[in-house]
Amino acid sequence: MKIKNIFKYVVVASLIVQLTACTSTEVEQKFDKTPTERLNAQKSELQEVLLTSPDGWKAVYFTDDKQLGGFTHLFKFTPDGKVEMASDFDATTTSKFTSEYDIQLGSTVSLVFTTKNRIHLLSDSSPQSNPTPALLGKGYLGDFQFLYYGQENGQLIFKANRTAGDGTSKEIRFVKATAQDWTDLPKNIDMIANVVGANTRPLFRLFETNDGTTTHQYDFTFATRSRFATANSIEAGSTATNNMGIAYTPTGIVVSPAVEVGGQKLTDFIYNSTDGSFTATGTNGVSASIKYSAKPLVLTDDYKNLVVGKPQMVFGYIAANLYTAPTNSSYFKTLVDKVNATLPANQSIARVQIVFNNVPNGTYIQYQFNGGKAQIVHWLTTTEDAVNKTIILNDDGWNTTAANYAFLKDIDNELTNSKGLYVKKETFRITFSNTIYTFTSAASNFRMTTYQL
Amino acid sequence: MKFVNKYKKIAVFVGVLAFTACAHEDQPTESQLDYNQPAKTDLDKWIDANYLVPYNINAQYKWNQNTVDNTRYLFPPTIDKVQPALEIVKQIWLQSYATIGGADFVKKIAPREIVLVGGVNSNSNGTRTLGIAEGGQRITLFEVDNINKKNRAIVAEFIHTIQHEYVHILNQTKPFDEQAWGKITPSGYTATWHLETTAASRELGFITSYARSNVVEDFAETASIILISTKAEYAAILAGITSAKARADIQRKEAIVVQYFKDAFNMDFYALRDEAEKNTTYVINN
Repeated sequence: MKIKNIFKYVVVASLIVQLTACTSTEVEQKFDKTPTERLNAQKSELQEVLLTSPDGWKAVYFTDDKQLGGFTHLFKFTPDGKVEMASDFDATTTSKFTSEYDIQLGSTVSLVFTTKNRIHLLSDSSPQSNPTPALLGKGYLGDFQFLYYGQENGQLIFKANRTAGDGTSKEIRFVKATAQDWTDLPKNIDMIANVVGANTRPLFRLFETNDGTTTHQYDFTFATRSRFATANSIEAGSTATNNMGIAYTPTGIVVSPAVEVGGQKLTDFIYNSTDGSFTATGTNGVSASIKYSAKPLVLTDDYKNLVVGKPQMVFGYIAANLYTAPTNSSYFKTLVDKVNATLPANQSIARVQIVFNNVPNGTYIQYQFNGGKAQIVHWLTTTEDAVNKTIILNDDGWNTTAANYAFLKDIDNELTNSKGLYVKKETFRITFSNTIYTFTSAASNFRMTTYQL
Repeated sequence: MKFVNKYKKIAVFVGVLAFTACAHEDQPTESQLDYNQPAKTDLDKWIDANYLVPYNINAQYKWNQNTVDNTRYLFPPTIDKVQPALEIVKQIWLQSYATIGGADFVKKIAPREIVLVGGVNSNSNGTRTLGIAEGGQRITLFEVDNINKKNRAIVAEFIHTIQHEYVHILNQTKPFDEQAWGKITPSGYTATWHLETTAASRELGFITSYARSNVVEDFAETASIILISTKAEYAAILAGITSAKARADIQRKEAIVVQYFKDAFNMDFYALRDEAEKNTTYVINN
């Protein structure tokens, strides 16, 4: 090929390149502004809006509502990069603490609490701070870098940096706080005892939903440290659950995830101090409530093994191992303490044993003592209440005089009450491998924990 | 050569096109990025005056997700704890090395960044990580919120962490003879060091249980335990060991540490220990 031709091609080729080169940069702009401009705009928007609310912001932070409850935080931002904060993490955190915050620009705009304050308590991984054994070394799974997702109805929408990438991650909403919110925060702490439940209330608790026509019942167990409640259906064959994270409010609780009843989502429960219940009300008769019951939710047939004609079974409350059992009611413990208080200092109740269907002695309660005091025996007969599923212990005389057993009368009256005892074989163990049985009065808040011996 | 003339014009035309074609595009304007210096608090100014200016070390206490492990549950320190922690670091570590190694020693071989974390760094096996040294450039110190200058046990643990991590920085700058070290107690290293007691580890020729995790940690533990102990305290540790071989093994390791400081940095290790001891007493008493 001649040089002339080569030159020709080179010129034509370069012309083509020149004429087309600039067209490829013409990207269609989807937005009015460049990404940097938009990020900067969002950053100043967040910076400004944080300062607009005169009494700051309130956020109920549920770090993971599959296993933990929510924590209410109040924030008051100032232009010099400081933030005043209070939380209902515990009774010591409801007053204001000051630390620093920053609006950081990364892949997106985020609000970061850059030095320690109350919200960081949820990220404390020290070994004694885990709310459940499964969360050892993880604390409350909290975050304090919140990615900004904009505003809706005056609320600021964030997601935790730690979990924002998960498809299931939940929004954290900052709503405008009021002066009342700040003064009322300690009331959230006061509400804890109502959720935990009081000794003076009936022993059993349930969670009940009503869709306007039918009700469904669930058992209800609340763990204070994790602020998480488990609720499993008590209906035979049903595996339905209504587990929920709980956050406290001055008037009740807020739950997450929302309880769905009849297509409605219920989250705000109001406390009723008369009966100790919490109720969330929807429309058209829909409601959900946490309430007390004097009767076990599920009546077991465990008492049937104790009726007349069955082989001997022996159950013992052993003070050394079972006084602290969580299944003892405080009323039971009060009665034990009362008996011990009447005895000399070196004596106390060692055991309360119920022997069923002994040959030849029949059924009786043995009260045994530490400190050398002789045992006292109350002879009994038994009656079955098949309708209420209780066993009733009837008096059949004592091994000593009335004056000698008078100090046992209060506790003995509960065991021999005329409505009988609910008997439940429990699934947990305490210290030893013996099966645990509980005996609950059908007439009062009396529940005793025993080993099967 | 006529064709050259003929195409010269075209070439000029192309050239003009090339230089003018994109002329209509916007010229770069001022940066969109906010490069204003953030306002400095008194604490920031103190850090500048005591770390940044004299040593070219940045002490970072504000949360920055890029300098911490986001899979762990950590949090930044309480502001009030930052300066006490940095004062301890400065007094016991920076000044001890400056006195013995020369004023410029830590300026040359130092982490360029100290990151302070308020919370505990918990590991899945139940242990706590007290400090991390990375690439000879950065030391992260955890549990700063627990600092209490009046509590000797807490100060001692914190200082132990600093001395330990700085030995790592030195090792990351100038390596020691890992092979010779590894031959002294080759069989005692274990991944489950946290299940061992200090007394049992010492009977095997290790100064602490953590020293048994690997040769590098063994070196850092041996050096840092000597540095945080007085001469008498260290002698008591050795005297408390029953096995003569274990005692001799620890002393052989000690000799390697001393030789390393001499050869690599021309420093008298025992003089360094005495200086650190002097400064530790000063911190606790003031």
